[in-house]
Amino acid sequence: MSETQGKATASADPFEPFRTMRDAYLDAMAKTMVEAVNTEAYAQATGTMLEGYLAAAAPFREAMDKSMKQALQQLSLPSREELAALAERFTNLELRLDDMDAKLVSIVKLLRKERTASEAGNGKARQSAEPK
Amino acid sequence: MAQAASSSDSIVAMEERLRVLTRVMTTKAAIAQTPKELVWSLNKAKLYRYVPLLPAEKRHPVPLLLVFAIMNRPSILDLRPGHSFVEFMVGHGYDVYLLDWGIPGIEDKHLKLDDYSIEYLPRAIRKLKETSGSEEFSMLGWCIGAILTTIYAAMRPDDGLRNLLLLTAPLDFSNRNGITFARWVDEKYFNIDQLLDAFGNMPGEMIDYGARVLKPVDNYVLNYCKLWDNLDDPAVVEAWHAMNTWVTDNIPMAGGAYRQLIEELYRRNKLIRNELIVRGERVDLGRIRANLMTVIAQGDHITPPCQSEAIVQKVSSPDKEVFRIRGGHIGIMAGSAAPAVTWPHIDQWLSARSG
Repeated sequence: MSETQGKATASADPFEPFRTMRDAYLDAMAKTMVEAVNTEAYAQATGTMLEGYLAAAAPFREAMDKSMKQALQQLSLPSREELAALAERFTNLELRLDDMDAKLVSIVKLLRKERTASEAGNGKARQSAEPK
Repeated sequence: MAQAASSSDSIVAMEERLRVLTRVMTTKAAIAQTPKELVWSLNKAKLYRYVPLLPAEKRHPVPLLLVFAIMNRPSILDLRPGHSFVEFMVGHGYDVYLLDWGIPGIEDKHLKLDDYSIEYLPRAIRKLKETSGSEEFSMLGWCIGAILTTIYAAMRPDDGLRNLLLLTAPLDFSNRNGITFARWVDEKYFNIDQLLDAFGNMPGEMIDYGARVLKPVDNYVLNYCKLWDNLDDPAVVEAWHAMNTWVTDNIPMAGGAYRQLIEELYRRNKLIRNELIVRGERVDLGRIRANLMTVIAQGDHITPPCQSEAIVQKVSSPDKEVFRIRGGHIGIMAGSAAPAVTWPHIDQWLSARSG
């Protein structure tokens, strides 16, 4: 009897009707929202919001940048811009080193090829010089 | 008593579901697990070679370079053991390389598409040739990676590129009504100078938000409902966990590249019109001669099909194919059907051209 009761409980998921309703609602909402975000009105609203946020945050950001630069200068520490400029120079150096490395590799390849060719040439010369 | 046992079972089951949910939402899945070795690096970019499984004589002689977008992690190509495109290709005898663009810092805000396609990519390819011993190679570009590989293929057609695969390639921006992103970044609404002046690079969080808001209910609600409904299914949970780990690993996009993408591609559609100037030289798509396959995801809302169709008319490749497949921008390569549909088709196409 408990087995039958167990089976009955398992097959009657109390949340199934809710899940079906939820899925139907969300599918409808999904289609509506995809259409809504693909409108000029949405593009305009998002653009306006972003512009407003950036404009409002700009004075604070500039004040923070200025005070941070001054503080770092007082502490004889480099600013973010100075570190970024240094990093850019490192990248340029890396580019040059990479190119030099590639040139060295091709030089080594050429030398090896020449050596192989000259060894092959010497081998042939020795063979033809040997008494028959 | 039977009712009490049943209630207690329900409570235990609910506890287990909550435990699984907590684990999935608060930890990172182990992704990008296929063994690889670093063979080259430049600034933040790294070229990896995946450890071959087959001996050299059984491998395809033409190596394959994978190039993903610059504002997402390339680990999507190697999502999880047993469900990884890289693993699949390595197992099918390809010498696979992956170019990881890395995370740009503030010092990289001036990097443009020019730098990625003409400075970094050729150097990575040079190293690939040296490591593989092959003068020819195949290249797969996905999303923005397809833009970079297309520019490279047009600028350096004699560099040994034999096969070019473009996945969900955003190359043609002429159908503005069909491209939601194009509407959002219109000059009337989107002040790119203000944004990049504030941040330098385009923040990863904003890129992620933009991608998710294309389908807001799917990405912010249905995605989590799917997880909740399948917490008892370990296969679904692990797949969700891996994908969520990748999706939430946002990285910024270099400011110069982002500006170029918006102004010269989205707004002026210069690439497909052969008007894009890179390092003072016009990018002429007619110079592309490599065998070409463009893979179009028919349900792609990030790069709608209309963006990837025109390229086949523009190139000079004698061997070209358009492969249309059901699925979304990421789903065609990382979804459940990918191992049965997309990957075998890529393998079939590439193996016939990699001998």
